[in-house]
Amino acid sequence: MSDRYAYFIGCTTPFRVSNYDLSTRRVMEKLGIELVDMNDAGCCGLYYEVINELTYLSMAARILSMAEDEKLDLMVICNGCNGSLFRANRKLKENPELKDEVNQVLADIDREFKGTIEVKHYVKVLWEDVGMERIREEVSNPLDVKVAVHYGCHLLRPSEEMRFDNPQEPVSLDELVEATGASSIDYLEKSLCCGGYVLAANQDIAYKMTGRKLRNVKNAKADVMITACPFCNVMYDTNQKSIERELREEFRIPVLHYPQLLGLSMGYSPREVGLEQNRVRVDPGIFG
Amino acid sequence: MDIRKELQEDIDGETLNYCFSCGICTGGCPSAMMTDSRYNPRKILHRAVIEGKLEDDIWLCTNCYTCQERCPTKTKVADLISLMRRVYVKHNKIPRFIKPLVENLAACGFTQVIGDLENRRRERMGLPKMKHTREIRRIMEKTGGLYE
Repeated sequence: MSDRYAYFIGCTTPFRVSNYDLSTRRVMEKLGIELVDMNDAGCCGLYYEVINELTYLSMAARILSMAEDEKLDLMVICNGCNGSLFRANRKLKENPELKDEVNQVLADIDREFKGTIEVKHYVKVLWEDVGMERIREEVSNPLDVKVAVHYGCHLLRPSEEMRFDNPQEPVSLDELVEATGASSIDYLEKSLCCGGYVLAANQDIAYKMTGRKLRNVKNAKADVMITACPFCNVMYDTNQKSIERELREEFRIPVLHYPQLLGLSMGYSPREVGLEQNRVRVDPGIFG
Repeated sequence: MDIRKELQEDIDGETLNYCFSCGICTGGCPSAMMTDSRYNPRKILHRAVIEGKLEDDIWLCTNCYTCQERCPTKTKVADLISLMRRVYVKHNKIPRFIKPLVENLAACGFTQVIGDLENRRRERMGLPKMKHTREIRRIMEKTGGLYE
């Protein structure tokens, strides 16, 4: 297992939810994992996957080449970045012609994609590399709270490529939640998408989708919901109030980034994991 | 325009021929669920195969891959819809809701403009500042992805 990663946070995290970045750094520090910053990395190319494939692959390859220069695997904290970078890395490693084409583009900015590193979502790093035993060792303040876990899409799917966990009935994030002392509760339509990807194209569909999951989580009597993707978090937390207004329905579900939950169980204060920045107020008292 | 040939030249596009319109994709599709199946991936694929046509509804896919996971014929439903979007962009204007993302990327290298407000907040939290980059714009120029 590696204890050093090139750390890529993408666009949505620094724009909307820097507390996700903050809490991720806290828990990784506690687990002895060093994160090497990539502050001028910019975008992973995700949106170009549906606009122009060469632009997409070149943008992704640029990020991958930055990690290659550091001789480090790339750790991402966004499911969108994970899907984009993991799949581009795989596609370019497997297709020498495409790799040459992309490298001709990258030559213009003095970069080269070599295909020497791996892309890992931090849930994968925690579950596969760090391991549950090591994580439990750092839990000094076990939490007593009922959690609804939301995996999001591009951590698991397309499973033929992602090859992580059981795509139909995943357990990784549930186990990571339970390591904090919390219980992960079952709820209806757990694998339902957050809807974030169609927000710009059709807010009505996106809000209905987000609201449907919030309703299911509320009905299951969860105390909090957790996410492992900044955009899922924006949909459930940042946009929860306007979804409530739009659907004329009250949810009031606190939504945490997973590292915030883990951080609290490791003894960090609510402020140290940026809990005061969550839009739906989180009462620190609920964690037992 | 007949887009059948363009779709089938792509490696994911080839799988379009596997589809026998069973509708499992649509049964599990969240956008179909939210629109009483007015958004209908089965119909989108069928329309592409039979009529060689693309319509604006292809932009309502959430890219969640549930359809592709469940497809009994291993048709790459979600990847096909992404491919259809790329073909759509080639023949039409870029959709207006994507335009701001493209403009932001060209201007600063991020999909949203991360400016002083965001960086001051990050500084207060003890987090490093995010720096803009022109390299993304260069890539967009070089690959015909600027759409100005």
